[in-house]
Amino acid sequence: MNQTTSSPLQRGFWEATGGRRGIGAWIFSTDHKRIGLLYFYSTLLFFCVGALLGLALRLELFSPGADFFTPQQYNALFTLHGVVMIFLFIIPGIPAAFGNLVMPIQIGAEDVAFPRLNLLSWWLYAIGAILALTSLFTAGGAPDTGWTFYVPFSVRTTTNVSLATVAVFIIGFSGILTGLNFLVTIHRMRAPGMTWWRIPLFTWSLYATAWVQVLATPVLGITVLLIFAERIVGSGLFDPTRGGDPIMYQHLFWIYSHPAVYIMILPGMGVITDIIPVFARKPVFGYKAIAISSLAIAGAGSVVWAHHMTTSGMSDTAVLVFSLLTFLVAIPSAVKVFNWVATLYKGSISLDPPLLFALSFIFLFSIGGLTGLVLGAAATDVHVHDTYFVVGHFHFVMFGGTGFAYIAAMHYWLPKIYGRMYNRKAAVWGWALMTFGFIVLYMSMMIVGMEGMPRRYYDYLPKFTFWNQLSTIGSWILACGLIVIFVNIFRGLFRGKPAGDNPWGGASLEWQTSSPPPLENFDYEPEVTHGPYDFKRGCP
Amino acid sequence: MSDTLIQGYFKSKGTSNVNPALITTQDAVDPVFWFILGISGVILLAITATMIWFVIRYRRSRCPEPTSQCDSNLTLEVIWIVVPTIIVLAMFYYGWAGYLALRQVPPGAMEITATARMWSWDFEYANGRHSDRLYVPVGRPVKVRLFSKDVLHAFFVPAFRIKRDTVPGMENYIWFVADEQGSYDIFCAEYCGVGHADMHTTVEAVPPAEFEEWLAGMSGSQNTEKGRSLLARYGCLGCHSLDGSKLVGPSFKGLGGRQVTIIADGEERVITSDRDYIRRSLIAPGAAVVKGYPPVMPSYAGQIPGPEVEEMIDYLLRIGQPVKNGESAESEAGLDGADLARRQGCLGCHSLDGSRKVGPSFKGLFGRERRLAGGRTLIADEAYLTRAIREPTADVVEGYPPVMPPYPQLRAEEVEAIIEWLEGLRE
Repeated sequence: MNQTTSSPLQRGFWEATGGRRGIGAWIFSTDHKRIGLLYFYSTLLFFCVGALLGLALRLELFSPGADFFTPQQYNALFTLHGVVMIFLFIIPGIPAAFGNLVMPIQIGAEDVAFPRLNLLSWWLYAIGAILALTSLFTAGGAPDTGWTFYVPFSVRTTTNVSLATVAVFIIGFSGILTGLNFLVTIHRMRAPGMTWWRIPLFTWSLYATAWVQVLATPVLGITVLLIFAERIVGSGLFDPTRGGDPIMYQHLFWIYSHPAVYIMILPGMGVITDIIPVFARKPVFGYKAIAISSLAIAGAGSVVWAHHMTTSGMSDTAVLVFSLLTFLVAIPSAVKVFNWVATLYKGSISLDPPLLFALSFIFLFSIGGLTGLVLGAAATDVHVHDTYFVVGHFHFVMFGGTGFAYIAAMHYWLPKIYGRMYNRKAAVWGWALMTFGFIVLYMSMMIVGMEGMPRRYYDYLPKFTFWNQLSTIGSWILACGLIVIFVNIFRGLFRGKPAGDNPWGGASLEWQTSSPPPLENFDYEPEVTHGPYDFKRGCP
Repeated sequence: MSDTLIQGYFKSKGTSNVNPALITTQDAVDPVFWFILGISGVILLAITATMIWFVIRYRRSRCPEPTSQCDSNLTLEVIWIVVPTIIVLAMFYYGWAGYLALRQVPPGAMEITATARMWSWDFEYANGRHSDRLYVPVGRPVKVRLFSKDVLHAFFVPAFRIKRDTVPGMENYIWFVADEQGSYDIFCAEYCGVGHADMHTTVEAVPPAEFEEWLAGMSGSQNTEKGRSLLARYGCLGCHSLDGSKLVGPSFKGLGGRQVTIIADGEERVITSDRDYIRRSLIAPGAAVVKGYPPVMPSYAGQIPGPEVEEMIDYLLRIGQPVKNGESAESEAGLDGADLARRQGCLGCHSLDGSRKVGPSFKGLFGRERRLAGGRTLIADEAYLTRAIREPTADVVEGYPPVMPPYPQLRAEEVEAIIEWLEGLRE
């Protein structure tokens, strides 16, 4: 505050390089903020890679027929888009990047419980990412199985699936270790006075997520290892001619991969829950209900996996049970949405960029959630399963939800980390372009899916042309919005006006320390005397 | 229970125009769509409108300070847990009821077998006829039994709202009734590799009389096919091959008139396998066992109606035997290269008109010089084409992906027939 003469990037944790120079000060640092930034820039890089791949897919689908890519290239592109976006961006995106940056400060800790393990997590992630990229250019070429690696195709294909599964295996360990680290940190490292019911809800969401990461990710590890074994030694576990079962693979895969969508969305919900009260200057409505609903989603979400398999040939009893459970997950999600809207009631609302992204989140996530009901009901799922309806639904939840939350988190917390502020007007323009482009892009997909266009098609019948073209145009608008957003925020972070310690008037602990925070987060041992959304007492 | 569930759900007895006792699959599913989408639309509108109204009404320029610090309201929270619970349970119930309608095949449905492979569909009808489009009579429910030769595929007809995976090693089914004459798209909905998007075909719904005519209009040898399907139905082919290969029991190939060494009452004898011998073997298999095979066959006495036994024996005596006019019985059974290529799914990846699909076109293929991946060149002669079918990845034509599966199930004569046909496509 009183050092405005020097650049923010020469203050606080930025100057604590631990005696290392250049990149070494980052890739060998155990400071949770530096590791958080490592994760932030790696996930952002992969988001950009994934987005470019997505744009390429949309370009191919602008008209029927193979226009820009061969079918084989197209299959590799969508596989890569899925693997990069899911394993390298969305899963680690919010928890590992913003969780690392913010969570220890929010609970008044000086770092996570196991800082070196934290660094190891990033290294595993980086090694996994490099292996995944290596798989594109070695052996049989880029994997073409889709991110789901369904057998028997993934066992038969000559492309380099083996290396890709090893990469996923290693990245999985990174997630398990981060989850473990966060669990111990939240249990053991809270500042005096930080009772369970005073923990900010972003941290609560990370806590629920961490349990899923620790408990479900090992199943993914086993599953991809089994594919590896199947390919290398021909174990026959999924081969019906040798007593195996391809449907068992799907169960194993979704036992992890369905809870994984909650690993993806829960931290995003946490971001939104932290943002809304601050910009309404009002305590969050139903604090305990939101905290408990995070745990309920994590719990119930772990037992709904087979709703991905309604048409697979599994028993009708299984269809019944999993459809019912799926509908039950909808309830805690609905509770969260109602609580967010109710928080705005009688507040004093300032439409700053983080709130705009949060409001888009609520709208887009609601569409994603409600279309999830169509997929949850057995009869309707049969028709829309594996069509573009699912692709649209998934992007509404994952991009409209988690992706927008990630960008909201950038606009909300990065000024804290960098000590500088971006241009508000440009951020609003970027937000408007993104939201509009998003709706055009993915709403068109849902309509064309409802009309019966299956997913993972490089070519389609001429009758699907209109909605595909509209969708592709939407992808260009969305891309423009993303460019505006990223250019604006990075210009601001490196050259913007000083942000001050508490630009938004937040009441949780991260706003009580300086911007950027010092090496161990606080110059004094914080003492917590009120809840995270108590703005009357929290804002001096 | 499920019957009453469906009847309770569909108030009217049926929705099919042609067959008033039937509910069509699309009429079982569409109300569920409208129910869920309608309620969802209302909820979305309410949430969004409330949110926007709050943002405008309580904007900071108008309300510089919050006018409430209220952070909970038990009544409200109970309401918005209970009401959504009731709504989603109703959605679940309708969804399940509609799903049951998709699973319960109406009595009297016609059975057709669909086999998916990379990357084409084959449909087989009760009389043994095959086609690559699914012909069905209007108004009659059709049960499609679903199989896969290789990887997962899914049988998807958007017009009838039906979809089911075809899984190797497992039988699945769907049913539908085409209410109106017309052509309906069939897609593969489960990703299956490079030709996934090309696995498009159609349901051709035609008037019943036209359907019968089409079904009967097949190339001869109906009896042959019937005998063969009886052998399959009674499980004979589980132990006896048709192609000469040795399974649990001796092959049926060339059985009629063959000299066989049998062991009866502990003594070896050589006999001619004729109609009598085959019939005896069915009734008392243990009485005379072919040397070198275990005496494990169960007796079929009284299990197969007499006329069917004779039909099967007719077929067995005919296959693999030279017949009067010099043609082999195999070609009488329709060993037609064009038909084989279609049924084996070759045309899913190889065009006939010179256009490039997953693999090179068949047009003008035979006898042409081909450049292989790795730079070698060779002439596409019979030896090369045989290898290309048996070990497809050994010599791949340059510029094409090495994705073709091998075809070990084809007999040597069948491979020959296909290559003969390819030769005819030279120009």
